[in-house]
Amino acid sequence: MSYLCLENVMKTFNKTEVVKKMNLEIKKGELVSFLGPSGCGKTTTLNMIAGFLDVDGGSIVVDGKPVHLLPPNKREMGMVFQNYALFPHMTVFDNVAYGLKLRKVQKNEINQRVLEALEMVRLSGYEKRYPKELSGGQQQRVSLARALVIKPKVLLLDEPLSNLDAKLRQEMREEIVEIQKKVGITTIFVTHDQEEALAISDRIAVMYEGRIEQVDTPVAIYNQPQTDFVSRFIGEVNQIQGHVVESYSGNQCKVSFNGYQQVLTCNGKNDDLVDFYLRPEKIQIYQEQSEGLRVRVERKMFLGAKTRYILQLKNQQLIADISNTVLNPDQILEGQDVLAVWNPEELLATKK
Amino acid sequence: MQAELEMNQEQEIQFKQMKKKKSKKRLDSWLLLLPALSIFIFFFLLPLVFLFITSFKTFDAATGIGHDWTLQNYAKFITDQFYLGVLWRTVKIALITTLAAVIISYPVAYQITKIRGRMKNYLTLLVLSPLLISMVIRCYGWVILLSNNGVVNNALMKMGLIDKPLTLLYTEFSVVVGMVHVLFPYMVLSIMGSLERIDPSVIRASQNLGAGPIRTFFSVVLPLTLPGIFAGSVMVFSLAVSSFVTPAILGGPQVKVMSFLTYEQVSTILNWPFGSAIGFLLIFIATITIIIYSKLLTRSEKGVAIQ
Repeated sequence: MSYLCLENVMKTFNKTEVVKKMNLEIKKGELVSFLGPSGCGKTTTLNMIAGFLDVDGGSIVVDGKPVHLLPPNKREMGMVFQNYALFPHMTVFDNVAYGLKLRKVQKNEINQRVLEALEMVRLSGYEKRYPKELSGGQQQRVSLARALVIKPKVLLLDEPLSNLDAKLRQEMREEIVEIQKKVGITTIFVTHDQEEALAISDRIAVMYEGRIEQVDTPVAIYNQPQTDFVSRFIGEVNQIQGHVVESYSGNQCKVSFNGYQQVLTCNGKNDDLVDFYLRPEKIQIYQEQSEGLRVRVERKMFLGAKTRYILQLKNQQLIADISNTVLNPDQILEGQDVLAVWNPEELLATKK
Repeated sequence: MQAELEMNQEQEIQFKQMKKKKSKKRLDSWLLLLPALSIFIFFFLLPLVFLFITSFKTFDAATGIGHDWTLQNYAKFITDQFYLGVLWRTVKIALITTLAAVIISYPVAYQITKIRGRMKNYLTLLVLSPLLISMVIRCYGWVILLSNNGVVNNALMKMGLIDKPLTLLYTEFSVVVGMVHVLFPYMVLSIMGSLERIDPSVIRASQNLGAGPIRTFFSVVLPLTLPGIFAGSVMVFSLAVSSFVTPAILGGPQVKVMSFLTYEQVSTILNWPFGSAIGFLLIFIATITIIIYSKLLTRSEKGVAIQ
């Protein structure tokens, strides 16, 4: 049973459809990321869920009740903003207590719950500080405590880490997941950082031009992208073209990549040209091998644990990331001819 | 040994050069301030000092300013009920004007900041338009409206609401009306400034936590605009407390204020020392009022620095 449900949600700004008939179901306690490039409608969708924007069509249902006609202050959602949005004229304590005071909670209980919330985000002892006396990471923690202390139905995170520096960002994202799992709150996390989304999400909704392209677990998004956009957007890919030499029954074809022939799943007819995507880490290179795609090593870049090889194939470049424990980079010279080999199952065929 | 000495010398030279650079930089910034600073010093600060000295001199019927030192001018003011009454009235009018300006300006500023695009510029220009008209002309406009057979009284009598004209002109009321009209653009502009500085997501955060529009306004928006209200109030109050033309035209001799009193002493009675003393008392009282006001505001909101 889904807890948060978007049905045909639409939003139009000046005749441009920003969100197009979006459908999504989120289970209770699940952490779902909205991932996509800027302008894909992810923040707009979040703002519609929070109630800051009206929906132009469709409905939003939380826990069986439609909420899309309620004003934001009646929706019982907790939001963490990109720029923290703490009240600058209130102490940390008053910031966190704000939502509880509005709910007319008893004074002792407010006290207790605020202190608990601050302890949860490891900010005990900061109650009397003002936001401007805190670092960015600390401010974001206060913001998280403020959103969670009111025990909202859904936690909405709008690019909460993008204003922090790289190291802090990683720490904070782990902390957020830890707290989210502990509290067990249904969460939507908006981000444009795919690494972030892959690391923390139960499921990712990849968005592009106002549409959800694919909703899946991080592993499935990475390994079985369903659309062109998802394959290109998530991780790095090589695009290579092959032509069908022979097609068999059951969607099996023999495809030739410049002479390197493989039998794989694809629905093409004889002599069709088919595009495939291939992740850089799925390519192996050998100096001597019976079969493979003959390429020239254009350049190699040492990246610590792995080495990136830029491979030239006629007018096309492939990149291959190979672990240094598998292949010693000193064995391969720039300008050398090698054979690139991959498992046919790793090729992601695209829909044409 | 020799090398070390050379090094030291070299360092010293470097150090001196650095110092030179630093002082040059300082000089540059002073140079930029020079035009404004010289005007301020020669045409404001120095005359003020002379005025201050004059206020401690005796009055000489023949030359105006006598040679002996005295505290008589201040004593005369402080002990006289009439003068104290004028001082109280001046401060009262300025305070009421400031308060009225805040109440009138806030909604205007609030609406203007909500509007986007060209309309916003037009509205801002409209608000500023009272400043484009000469103060004297504007005051006589109010005279036409408020006098005994003026527009307001005629209309009220025609409607049968009153039998005989109300005394609107030459009262503290008419002075306040005229001053609010002149001074409220300053208030609108400074409140607009602080409203525009509020991060919109802070307002969203408040709504998200369960506050309706009214609660959000009083808990978040209003406290965050106190700096703007303060800046506007200081401007409006100091302009109102020292204004001369508006009280002179709309208040006349019935509503005497401090600046009118000073004018009387200096140009009619030619008692310059006493005039100076009145002027200084006005500056003193106005400064104290502003300090108390700012203390009250800063105490209520510690998180937001009052600029």
